[in-house]
Amino acid sequence: MADLTRAPAARLSRRGTETAPLREFLIFVVGAELFGIELTAIKEILSPPPITPVPRSEKEVLGVCSVRGLLVTVLCLRRKLRLRELPNGKRSRILLTTSASGETLGLLVDEVRQVVRLQPSEIESAASTLGSDASEHVVGVARPPGSFVVLLDLRTILPS
Amino acid sequence: MPDITDKARDEFFSEAQEIIETLSRNLLSLDAAQKAGKEDPSLINEAFRAVHTLKGLAGLFGAIRLGAFSHRLEDLLDDLRLGRLDLRPEVLDVLFATVDAYGRILQIEKDGRDDDLPSVDDLFRRLDRLGANVERGASPVGDYELDPGMLAVLTEYEEHRLRANIEQNLKLYRLRVQFDLSTIDKALDDMKERAKQHGEIITYLPTGEATGADAIELDLLLASRDDLATLIGSLGADNVVIEESPRRRRSVAPSASPQRGSVLGGSSPRAVDGFDRLADANALEAGPSLRSLTQTVRVDIRKLDHLMNIVGELSIVRSSLSRIAERLRGEGSRQLATELMRLHRNFDRRLGEMQDGILEVRMVPLGQVFDRLARVVRQISRDLGKEIRLVITGAETEIDKLIVEELSDPLMHMIRNAIDHGIESAERRAEVGKPLAGTIALNAFQKGNHVMLEVEDDGRGIDEVALVEKAVQSGKIGRHEASELVRDEVLALIFVPGLSTREQVDDLSGRGVGMDIVKTNINKLGGVIDVHSDTGIGTKMAITLPITLAIVSALLVRAHDQVFAIPLSTVSEALSFDPRSVRKVESREVITVRGSSLPICDLGKLLGLPVPLEDRRRRFVVVAALGNRRLGLVVDHLYGQEDIVIKPLGPSLSRVRGFAGATELGDQRVGLVLDSGAVIEEVLSGVEAPRERLSVLHG
Repeated sequence: MADLTRAPAARLSRRGTETAPLREFLIFVVGAELFGIELTAIKEILSPPPITPVPRSEKEVLGVCSVRGLLVTVLCLRRKLRLRELPNGKRSRILLTTSASGETLGLLVDEVRQVVRLQPSEIESAASTLGSDASEHVVGVARPPGSFVVLLDLRTILPS
Repeated sequence: MPDITDKARDEFFSEAQEIIETLSRNLLSLDAAQKAGKEDPSLINEAFRAVHTLKGLAGLFGAIRLGAFSHRLEDLLDDLRLGRLDLRPEVLDVLFATVDAYGRILQIEKDGRDDDLPSVDDLFRRLDRLGANVERGASPVGDYELDPGMLAVLTEYEEHRLRANIEQNLKLYRLRVQFDLSTIDKALDDMKERAKQHGEIITYLPTGEATGADAIELDLLLASRDDLATLIGSLGADNVVIEESPRRRRSVAPSASPQRGSVLGGSSPRAVDGFDRLADANALEAGPSLRSLTQTVRVDIRKLDHLMNIVGELSIVRSSLSRIAERLRGEGSRQLATELMRLHRNFDRRLGEMQDGILEVRMVPLGQVFDRLARVVRQISRDLGKEIRLVITGAETEIDKLIVEELSDPLMHMIRNAIDHGIESAERRAEVGKPLAGTIALNAFQKGNHVMLEVEDDGRGIDEVALVEKAVQSGKIGRHEASELVRDEVLALIFVPGLSTREQVDDLSGRGVGMDIVKTNINKLGGVIDVHSDTGIGTKMAITLPITLAIVSALLVRAHDQVFAIPLSTVSEALSFDPRSVRKVESREVITVRGSSLPICDLGKLLGLPVPLEDRRRRFVVVAALGNRRLGLVVDHLYGQEDIVIKPLGPSLSRVRGFAGATELGDQRVGLVLDSGAVIEEVLSGVEAPRERLSVLHG
């Protein structure tokens, strides 16, 4: 296991070996920005099956779909983060995750990029760097080489 | 026992629960018999056996508290059945209290806690006090002029009953009956039932006489007041020989005991049950008799849900099969297509049978919940000092297990209300010339795909004037609005949260938290509740429920561009829609169907769906009906009927109204299932459900 994790960690963090535990984040695109969610919270990544809209539901609810017989409510991250509406592209994916109450929920994102490993010291506080509407859902930001990633707090995004 | 698996533990608790329910039923029958001035010793004996079994189980599973409590109760019941103690009202009270105590003990054992249970300890002391005055170890029969061969096989209890009957100068009869081994269960029960009408069966034993391989001969010892001719007239048959046995007589069953095992070995377990001497206090500890005496298994309902889901998925496979067959036919492979169609039909039929089979397993009689209610009625009527006669009909009506579980709380509320608010005090009843005892009727019956449940009382009825006044005073409705309410609207006020017509708040009801919760719970089960009331005559609450929640036939429709399923049980018909026939009555759109007017509503608009661009040519009206409410839903297309498995929407969508869940439609798509009851109420809220309207006005 140690051999497997060392290479990308070294590449991404460029800080050699530090003792603090690394945290893994799944990096994905919503709208035009990069976001990250802690990998342990993601159960599965799916190509979107047909989604049935649920009339009268809240705006960020895209609808329901069936994942191997399980009924899953799908939330649109774009709407949740109040980003510009875009038609769903070929690279759209659904991230399956579990809410605090144990409900399986899907999050629609525009594209899944990669997994990065971050040292705690690489995660910056978000307060100074972000003024957007999304700030209530943000735990921090990170700057892997050549990019800027907003790390999301799943607990505030998912309905409790 | 160190390694008892969780499964065995679960089974232990559910079996214990069942035994306690049996005990509760016995006590209720005992109470009823006592009130009617009848004596049925077999009821006490059954209660004794139930507690005895429970004690054995408790020992096996190391449930110490349960064991100790059962042991003490068993002693008391033993004293009762052997006539050492009279069944006085205070004894009966203690017995009833034990049922609740068992509930508490069981919960604690289940949670693996070790809490103090003062109420149970108190009951323990009361049991002890009752037992203290009893003379124990009454001398066995010795001075009897009965054959020792027979006496040797009688249990202490049977001996006691024999003595009691002889003391009453009853005659003893021997009924020698041949039974077919394959049908002995039913035939013996039947025989016992008929013989009981003439007296008491002291015991029954195999005679051990040589009979055919498939038959067995039993002697029934019956004590009766009737003479021989009457008995022969009533019970006589080709396979029955009846003799009066004089007091000084040879053995009734000389070689019974050694034969017992061998005669019955290998026959059905039920037959063993019949002969198992549970009354013999050591039988359980002996070991072999601990094996299950019934052929039933207990199954977690979630496993049935899982099976049902598989059936649902198989029906998707079925649809694909027929699609492929159609395609083959289109491509010219006629013979293959025909063969595939045949397979498809066969598959379809078997799948239907499997579905029915699984559904049947989920069904339980409503009697399960009625028994619990009977206990509540007894308790409340004693607490309030009101004498209540409970009349139950239709306890055998079957309904989905999940629904039964959710029914007991609402029904309990309704019964409490009926006794507390409905039934007048004895003095008042005497004044108006009603029988002193109030009557509560619980009726259940099946009506198509629904089960109807009625709670009816012969009390004072709902005080409509006071109800409206209260609603106005508490600000739920305006004075002017109140004056415009029609009768149904007034009665529906009882479902408004926070309204209670009782001035004083007490333990039972009067806090106004009852009926609105009842209504919510019933609606959650896909049911509706209607109130009828006649001042001075009584109140009737009628609940309409679906038989099952697991699988339903549904009509698939399209509204605007989306497919919805409407449970067929709530659809009375579908018509072609003629926009020109629509009239406006009191700001509501109605059409006329066979002479009566039907309110209609555009389903797509109601749900706020985007309006499709294409011009709709032909539209349809689906008439949804629940209870006595009808609503026409205007839709754009009818796809036809399909059996669907309803899956609940997730908790994050719990606030969305109008849907009972969703279902898979095949080709990976999901369709929403309409909650007809909720939609009907929402649209018709102006008439039948003031609550919704009130919340719009004041909330």
